[in-house]
Amino acid sequence: MALTDINSILIIGMAGGLAKITAGLLLKEYPNATITGVDSRETDQFLKDSRIKYQRMKYTRSNYEKLFRNNRFDAVLHLGRMSHSGSNPRAHLAERLDLNVMGTNRVLELSLHFEVKKVIIMSTYHVYGAFSDNSTFIKEDALLRASLHYPDLRDVVEMDQLASNWMWKYQHQIETLVLRPCSVIGPQIRNTMTQYLTAPYMPVPMDFNPMVQFIHEFDMASVIVHSLKYVPTGIYNVATDQCMSIGEAKRTIGVASIPIPVFLLEQAAKLINRTFWSVPEYLIDYLKYPCIISNEELKKHLPANFFKFSIEEGLALIKQT
Amino acid sequence: MNFKGFKKLTQNFTLPLPKTLGKMELDSIFAQLEKRHPKGEDPWGLNLSKSRESVRLTYPFYKHYFQVRVIGAEKVQDVPYMVVSNHSGQIAIDGMLITGAFILDVNPPRILRSMVERFVSSIPFFGAFAAANGAVLGDRSNCEHLLRKGESILVFPEGVRGVSKSTNEYYQLQYFTQGFFRQCLRSGTDILPIAVIGAEEFYPFVYQARGLAKKLGLPALPLNPFFLLGLLGAIPLPSPVDVVIGDPYPIPKDLSPDAPDKIINDHVLKIETVIKKLIADGREKRRRFWGSHLLPSAKETHGPY
Repeated sequence: MALTDINSILIIGMAGGLAKITAGLLLKEYPNATITGVDSRETDQFLKDSRIKYQRMKYTRSNYEKLFRNNRFDAVLHLGRMSHSGSNPRAHLAERLDLNVMGTNRVLELSLHFEVKKVIIMSTYHVYGAFSDNSTFIKEDALLRASLHYPDLRDVVEMDQLASNWMWKYQHQIETLVLRPCSVIGPQIRNTMTQYLTAPYMPVPMDFNPMVQFIHEFDMASVIVHSLKYVPTGIYNVATDQCMSIGEAKRTIGVASIPIPVFLLEQAAKLINRTFWSVPEYLIDYLKYPCIISNEELKKHLPANFFKFSIEEGLALIKQT
Repeated sequence: MNFKGFKKLTQNFTLPLPKTLGKMELDSIFAQLEKRHPKGEDPWGLNLSKSRESVRLTYPFYKHYFQVRVIGAEKVQDVPYMVVSNHSGQIAIDGMLITGAFILDVNPPRILRSMVERFVSSIPFFGAFAAANGAVLGDRSNCEHLLRKGESILVFPEGVRGVSKSTNEYYQLQYFTQGFFRQCLRSGTDILPIAVIGAEEFYPFVYQARGLAKKLGLPALPLNPFFLLGLLGAIPLPSPVDVVIGDPYPIPKDLSPDAPDKIINDHVLKIETVIKKLIADGREKRRRFWGSHLLPSAKETHGPY
């Protein structure tokens, strides 16, 4: 049944590009609703709409409790997963574990306690891991193997598993959705893949060329808004029907690529991490082996021709920025 | 090196062998393939433009070095098949030649999706090359999706046992696993049995050190006296190859994919028998090449020598 009676929405991770687009779309869908956006980061630009309240806060238990006590949220969108974009990914693992795992747990507990109608948790396709023996079109019930090779991805996997376990345990009390999108790209997104694709000179593996999936930020935001209203409790991969090889993606964007073998790329990534900017080591595996997810489950709940942007259009848009 | 660079380097490069594939012929083949694969790439990594380059560059090997001859091409209809073949030759050159045969000598052309072992996709360069030319990780989910898409699949149900034989086992078909047959039952796809003759002689004297391979954790360890020549020893001999295509084996419509092993085994044994017969027939018609009188497996026409 469609969830239409929504008056108050909490968005966690509001300083992110995807959250801002989602907020805009939510206000179109629910014109009478108010949105409370929270983030631990500063944000310079914002939607100038009186229905959106932005609050910068530390993700602590007391801050969350205060937030939930003072607002009666109908829906909570947890888009605030901390990613590996710091200067040294390993140094931030403890912080990420606390924020992503413990933080998600706090949000879920409070959502249940304060009778939120629906919670959407934004996970990632990285949870499946990039392996040479990955099937093409990984389904939602596949094993989450990402942290087998990279302890750096432990927080991502644990957050997903925590949310999934929670979802099934309390499915009769609260509707919970776990979304596992492929790489989200767009002018407002600054995730690791977008940074990689738009870097002016970026090493690309010459000995591997896996297929990859991208979803445009607007399509991703549309999926979140549609899910809030129509998609029932469950875990859903989010991807369009299109795939592209990583080499083709680089060519489409047109940035200069430096082809080098993967074993050198791994060493280069370590060096770069220490000196210039962050290329998480785990990303190398996603440039080496495919991790193509199946969108069959989600498509059962989407109208036909739901996605508006092709991969080429999405890549062209990040090229312009 | 990116693809453009590779293309530039190779566009004027032809091997000093008798005849390369004409542009018109290549265009005509790939025009038909583009109808099947309009996007040029697919989620399994197939890349038509790279595949075209591979066909252009390897044609002299296919036509003049291995002198591939396809017998029974007229039996192939324009429907998806599970192509089931014997496996031989120590490395999967036979798979590449079969794929080539279905592009160059079967009408309408099709890119067979070869089901490959897990380790293949982790081999630098070769994994990407194989995927661009249609190879796919051999697992149930990939197979199901591809058959649903109307693609034809190439399987070697003997697996590594087939390709890694010692000389005294050449042309002995190893037992088939059942998985391919159950997949065909699930999708209602007919089986196309084929036999490859001549690939065993690529490396004519081989001893498979199975015990040592097991200790080292390797799938196979072929010991070949030619390897003493270093890289030169790894070059396969120019044994002429025949790809013999049998009559399609219609998949029973009234059998469940979860039928007991015994029932499935009966069908799998029938397919093994068909392929054994194709091998025997093919060996009768096989061509000689220089030095082949020294090779015991190429001398005899029937069964293991």
